[in-house]
Amino acid sequence: MAEKGGKEFSLPKGKSSLKTPASVKGKDDSSAKSKGGRKVQFDSEDSLESKINMSSKSDGKTDTPVAKGDWGKGGKGGKSPIRKEASALELKIEQELPKNAKCLMDCEAAAILQGIQEQMVVLSEDPTIKIPTAFDRGLQYAKSGCHYTNPQSVRRVLEPLEKHGVSVSEMCVIANLCPESSDEVFALIPSLKGKKDKLTNPLKDTLSELAKLKQRT
Amino acid sequence: MFLKVQLSWNVIIPAESLDTKGLMLQKSIITRLLDDFSTKKATKENGYFLAVTTLDNIGEGRVRQHTGDVLFPVLFTCITFRPYRGEILEGVVHKILKHGVFLRCGPVENIYLSNQKMSDYKYVPGENPIFMNDKLSKVEKGVAVRFSVIGTKYIETEKEFQAVVSLEGDFLGPVS
Repeated sequence: MAEKGGKEFSLPKGKSSLKTPASVKGKDDSSAKSKGGRKVQFDSEDSLESKINMSSKSDGKTDTPVAKGDWGKGGKGGKSPIRKEASALELKIEQELPKNAKCLMDCEAAAILQGIQEQMVVLSEDPTIKIPTAFDRGLQYAKSGCHYTNPQSVRRVLEPLEKHGVSVSEMCVIANLCPESSDEVFALIPSLKGKKDKLTNPLKDTLSELAKLKQRT
Repeated sequence: MFLKVQLSWNVIIPAESLDTKGLMLQKSIITRLLDDFSTKKATKENGYFLAVTTLDNIGEGRVRQHTGDVLFPVLFTCITFRPYRGEILEGVVHKILKHGVFLRCGPVENIYLSNQKMSDYKYVPGENPIFMNDKLSKVEKGVAVRFSVIGTKYIETEKEFQAVVSLEGDFLGPVS
């Protein structure tokens, strides 16, 4: 598991699947580099080995979202980045989310982390209690992205959007954006564009409600 | 995106830390859990570990052979942070190069914004180089920038996430 996961990530997708055959058969190497990853797979000899590699690759791919593929291309530097624009940058957090996990809005995270921060004086007295290094930076980010004082009311205001097909992760992104107009929402969350007709009016109401909750600073 | 995740880990309590008094045992389980939590730092699925919020259940301990340590299955809830593709985030610029800038966003140290992904911004060389567009909007050191995430990658050996981001699109760019 660990080894597989590492492999999948440390190398671009096309390359990683090619790695084994390339190292075994030297002549594959150059063609693999000049061409895109997948095509070479099919062009190359249909030896048992490459078949095994292909199957392992497709296994890995089932849980591999588009993001990594794109990263792979970018990382390789060979492909022009403009091509990536073709596939819309859609939020697919729900599909990637581990089980037993749910998205939090920045303001919710800020409230929870700040609550812990307040206990820090007591906690730091005990040297056996360790605080993760990411804690401070996470708290800082949550606070900077926190536009609302009362996370519960923000959730309450956003929840009606759910019945219009807005996912929880999209709701959280809306809250984190603290948008001023529905145009801003549709521009930044392309996955909502398809529902634009139905969504525009409820969204307007939501945004005006949200504006009332905004922190006055 | 911040996540609230419930996890189930095994916490190992060394034989010498075992105590007959129940409360002390609970305390050592919690300290050990927090210790593991900090050391683990991050995982590919859950992102960076920020804080444990609740301890939901401590299961029955099992004595491990040879060592005599006791292993407790522990169920707890924690807050994590993980960058996702398609997400809109804000980061602070910390390094400017000719071909792009590096930003920081929460626990994520290395976020790269290529100049090809902010094509209306031009590189202005100098002692403190900046990127600037026709509307005199500046991407410079210390400035907060709102961007969309094009891709993320988790580096297992460093337990760090990296991301490539873009300013192409409306409502993205430096924020005041």
